[in-house]
Amino acid sequence: MSLPPRVPSVVLAVGFAVVAGAVLVAASGGDPLAAYWQIAVGALAPDNLPNTLNWAVPLTGMALAVAIPLRGGMVNLGGDGQLVLGGLVAALVPLYLPLPGVLSMFAAILAAALVAGLYAALAAWGEVRHGVPMLISSLLLSYPAMGLASYLSGFPLRDRSSGLPQTVMIPPDARLPPLGDVLNVGAFAILVIAIAVVVFDRRSVVGYELRLRGLNPRFARYGGIALGRQAVATMFASGGIAGLTGATIVLGAQFRFTDGALVTPNYTWSGLMAALLAGGEPVGTIGAALFFAALQTGGFAMQRETAVPRVLTMVLQALVILFLAARHGLRRRAAP
Amino acid sequence: MAPALQASGIVKRYGPLLANDGIDLDVARGEVHAVMGENGAGKSTLMSILYGMQAPDGGTIRLDGVAVRFRSPAEAIAHGLGMVHQAFKLFSSLTVWENIVYGREPRRGPFIDGAAARRAAVALAERYGLAVDPGALVARLSVGVRQRVEILKALYREARVLILDEPTAVLTPPERDVLFAVLRRLVVDGRSVIFVTHKLDEVLAISDRVTVLRAGRVAARMTTRETSAREIVRAMTGRVVADRPDRVSMPQGAALLHAEAITVRGDGRVLVADANLSVNGGEVVGIAGVAGNGQTELVEALVGLRAVASGRVQVNGRDVTQSDVAARREAGLAYIPEDRAAVGTAPTASAADNLAMGFHRRPPLRRGWKLDGTAVRDWARRLIARFDIRIGSERTPVATLSGGNMQKVVLARELSHAAPVLIAEQPTRGLDVGAAEFVHGELLAERARGRAVLLVSAELSEVMALSDRVLVMFGGRIIADLPAAQADEERLGLLMAGRPGVAA
Ligand SMILES: Nc1ncnc2c1ncn2[C@@H]1O[C@H](COP(=O)(O)OP(=O)(O)OP(=O)(O)O)[C@@H](O)[C@H]1O
Ligand SMILES: [Mg+2]
Repeated sequence: MSLPPRVPSVVLAVGFAVVAGAVLVAASGGDPLAAYWQIAVGALAPDNLPNTLNWAVPLTGMALAVAIPLRGGMVNLGGDGQLVLGGLVAALVPLYLPLPGVLSMFAAILAAALVAGLYAALAAWGEVRHGVPMLISSLLLSYPAMGLASYLSGFPLRDRSSGLPQTVMIPPDARLPPLGDVLNVGAFAILVIAIAVVVFDRRSVVGYELRLRGLNPRFARYGGIALGRQAVATMFASGGIAGLTGATIVLGAQFRFTDGALVTPNYTWSGLMAALLAGGEPVGTIGAALFFAALQTGGFAMQRETAVPRVLTMVLQALVILFLAARHGLRRRAAP
Repeated sequence: MAPALQASGIVKRYGPLLANDGIDLDVARGEVHAVMGENGAGKSTLMSILYGMQAPDGGTIRLDGVAVRFRSPAEAIAHGLGMVHQAFKLFSSLTVWENIVYGREPRRGPFIDGAAARRAAVALAERYGLAVDPGALVARLSVGVRQRVEILKALYREARVLILDEPTAVLTPPERDVLFAVLRRLVVDGRSVIFVTHKLDEVLAISDRVTVLRAGRVAARMTTRETSAREIVRAMTGRVVADRPDRVSMPQGAALLHAEAITVRGDGRVLVADANLSVNGGEVVGIAGVAGNGQTELVEALVGLRAVASGRVQVNGRDVTQSDVAARREAGLAYIPEDRAAVGTAPTASAADNLAMGFHRRPPLRRGWKLDGTAVRDWARRLIARFDIRIGSERTPVATLSGGNMQKVVLARELSHAAPVLIAEQPTRGLDVGAAEFVHGELLAERARGRAVLLVSAELSEVMALSDRVLVMFGGRIIADLPAAQADEERLGLLMAGRPGVAA
């Protein structure tokens, strides 16, 4: 029922990227083998694995947030805004809504997903009702959301005792419990979401409808699928997952909302690349997200241990996508 | 003299499937050579090999006795081959002459010599009697004229062997007559034409010889003058196909599909103007008309794919004017759309996915929030068997099916809705004789079950044979509503040309 995975071309693209990256390192006077070795060790050595996983959790969340609409042929470029809104709401609920501990934590997560989901759905509604292309509106809606969060954390709700634009710390009993030294329970939340997305994609009626829309929207409409409603619901789910990802970072690691802290690691854009790499297919997306997380975590180690800057890993990521796109483009031209 | 084109022992495999199994074909200079065969017999595969779009797994091709091997259509064109595909490959935002000379423009210095190119296009058009306006935008042209542009494009590249794959499927009868006149001039000029079609009368009218394929092999080679429709059909199918089923008279029920004063606007024009129609249970109503006179828009308005400016639609007694597609289907409407690849299927999806659409929200395919994979598979297998769809398995993407088998996927799905109202648009386009008869039988069976069938077809013979009443559309209006007995070819032809005064 599902399409055959495009594994061979992905492997080939990764191979090309690795070779091109090696040439790049060698050309700038570095030792490519040492660089790659450090990436591998930095990502996968037992001591470093928790760090990699910790990096993979939000990246996977954001990758799924892109993959879901992509499966139906829609693009959500507003991940940053949704992530930040989720993080902000997750910080404010425990601070300003007097609820007992664990309850407060659950309320914060739910509210974060809800607000971010509605915000993403707004972009879909704009397209359905007013014909504003979602590709543009989802991206543009990101800026007011980040602006609002920046203002709130910088002025009215700022922690006066701190020099940074950030809220005060949330109470300890509203935080996500830790799992070992680095990870926290948020990893479970994303794992559950990931499993749910895969199951829905393969087994559910809505997954079927979304997949067929992605393959031919005119056919989906002809078959009786209400494309408008579907777009709004899909974007709600997508934004909700982005918001939840923001909540797990705030409630599980940072314990407060700090302006800019959610977007600087670039989870959104790495997630977008992972989803694109897999064409929105959930299992592939998760795999790609894990791969990119390993690459990026390894990049830190490489920068520490060799003279090669961490940027190399971002270059590799981009090259993989580029080679993949080129391959598909070429194949399309050869067989019209 | 060596044949203009000689293919021998052509083999093409798709996985386990032998699409071409050692085919020999030779086409003499100055002949129209028809290639016939059931859906999936391997005709399009063979043509795409001759034209360099695919490499054969075995066999050789000779042009005028010289062995050739094409790696791309460009090489085939350079050797004097031309092909007109069923889905045209023109640039619709360019003019006719720009399309004709594209890739081989006459130049003056670094610039395209527009005047010379136009002159060349006009001269070519006149020489073969192909009426086109060289300055017209392709986007504005009817299908028939677009096809002429395709032919001119091939002739401009000096095609000596012209391949036409089901060229008449989209043409009106007058357009088809023009095409045939052109083909006759071409062969008089010493060129050769390979003509793939399912229409026996056309083969008998235009071809000199026929090669019949069955299951990837040559089943027969005949000289047209010495054969008959019956013999060709027997070679294609290995049996005698029953004649068109008779339309026994039926008691008619209540109006199941009813539309009042439908007006549709688009692109700042009125596409359908004040259309009224009513189809009773146990009745087939045909809509005849030259393509582009509002039939498609009217049907889309009926099924809910297009907004109406005014008017009312009732399905099975329920007013569905405000309802979306799903609600109209729920009310009892099934729909076979004109364009099976763009609307009627998701070509890259599996047959199972395609056949489940519309059934996926109710049991047995749906179980709670789940789509039951086993039920979807069993459902697909049942339909594939019942409608004799030639396909590897239910997991195969429908894009790989032959045209006719893809149409069967759509038919199988829509007919199994057992909906009170069936709207069928060009339901037999591209189907072989046997499959077309099967569809006609199914449509009449729907009628016999007391259902209402609205049939839109460019094929007059089909409309006349199946319909109890015939409506004619012209310029967005329904200009005639005739009982079957009064709908003869001449009268319909005049009405379709928008001359009701003469026809009355
Ligand atoms: N790309 C492909 N991959 C797999 N199978 C294919 C592919 N193209 C064609 N086939 C199969 O090869 C067989 C011959 O197909 P072909 O399109 O040549 O038939 P045809 O004679 O043109 O039929 P029709 O009259 O329906 O157009 C069919 O069974 C079809 O499913
Ligand atoms: Mg064909």
